[in-house]
Amino acid sequence: MRLTTTANVLSLPIMLLAAAIQASFVPQIRLLGGGPDLIFLLVLAWSINADLDSSVVWAFVGGIMIDLLSAAPTGSSVMGLLFLVFATSGIGGQVYQIGFTILVGLVMIGTLVQQVTFMMVISLAGFRVSWLEDFSYIIAPTMLYNLVLIWPVYWFVRRLQRRLDRRSIKS
Amino acid sequence: MRTTWRANRIVFFLFCTLLCAGLITVSAAGAIGPVEGILAGPVSFLTGLFNDVALSSSALAAELAEIQTLRERNAELEAALAQFQAELVELREIASDYTRLTELAEYSSTREDLELLTADVIYYDPSSRIRTIVINVGTRDGIAAGMPVVSAGSLVGRVIQVSANAARVLLVTDESSYVSSRLQTSREEGSVVGLLTGNLRMIDIPLDAEVQEGDLVITSGLGGNFPTDLVIGQVSSVRQFEFELSQEAEVRSLVSFGTLEFVQVITSFQPIDISVFESQDDQP
Repeated sequence: MRLTTTANVLSLPIMLLAAAIQASFVPQIRLLGGGPDLIFLLVLAWSINADLDSSVVWAFVGGIMIDLLSAAPTGSSVMGLLFLVFATSGIGGQVYQIGFTILVGLVMIGTLVQQVTFMMVISLAGFRVSWLEDFSYIIAPTMLYNLVLIWPVYWFVRRLQRRLDRRSIKS
Repeated sequence: MRTTWRANRIVFFLFCTLLCAGLITVSAAGAIGPVEGILAGPVSFLTGLFNDVALSSSALAAELAEIQTLRERNAELEAALAQFQAELVELREIASDYTRLTELAEYSSTREDLELLTADVIYYDPSSRIRTIVINVGTRDGIAAGMPVVSAGSLVGRVIQVSANAARVLLVTDESSYVSSRLQTSREEGSVVGLLTGNLRMIDIPLDAEVQEGDLVITSGLGGNFPTDLVIGQVSSVRQFEFELSQEAEVRSLVSFGTLEFVQVITSFQPIDISVFESQDDQP
């Protein structure tokens, strides 16, 4: 599905809102050290049924938005999201239906790749990282949260994409 | 066509990765700090609004869950208040005597040399691995990197980044945090480090040091990064292993980091730069 420039521009307010919610509400509902990664979920949900160009834009916008609020260098979150979009972009057009198994697999592997990439980047930037402890304290709970929240996020993003697609066909 | 598409995708991936790596590098070097500050403005503003709502909602939810407990606690506190009012009268008399005696001896036990600037906490770092907060004062208010930050007299952390109207504070609970400290009672020295779990641990305590639960842990001032005698927390448990060269203690901070709304920056303290001595030590 090729979406219009409108779709890319829409990433700004959506990611802005997601980053604000990520930095304010998510710390209040953390399980151990993990919480839902809204930016990751939005980028994943978008890229499944969007072309690569659009997915890369969403990855950059989302990653930069969340990094502006963090002490991590800007771009730290983008790297993992780039791996994600290049692996998943357009996969929705190559399978008959995005089912439960595929989505669960994408969330689990994607969360792992994104979190490990982020840890590597901040480790290189001079932050201390506890690799082994991190898996049980942060990555596992984050994966759990993402598995629950992917469904409403994917539903929302899919509706948005269909609406944009209808508008682009009419115009 | 299929081969061309694959090649383009790989080239595109390499291009994006290099672009991202470049962005990370310049950001880590601080070269785009002003740009980041400008871009972060609207995001920070919106996050600050959401954070107020989030904290209020969280507090309300906690209170609703504890209504019965709060009623019982209220009754206990009212009874205690009546008792303390009687003790207050006696203590005021003692305080008055103390004031007269200290004036005679020209002695002061309070930290009147510290200048404090109160700031609101705008938001917390969204990453679970990096524990920082952003406060609403910056260079325009006289804030500089390295200034210590406290809350109700207890150490919160240290300013690490400053913009015109905001500052980022590295919390003592962050894994990168390292505070030279001592036990208030025995005066034994050690270092307080943050853990991934958000707790504190005092390490490098001499084996023969007497450490007890409840001991206050304060800053020692060694290293010049913090003023002396700032409260960090209380010892909650002691760890001593048979073949270790030092002992460790778990420290419970007196600050509730999850619900911080206001902090105070110590603006009259400047960190001491000892790097020149370290470079001299390396010379033969």
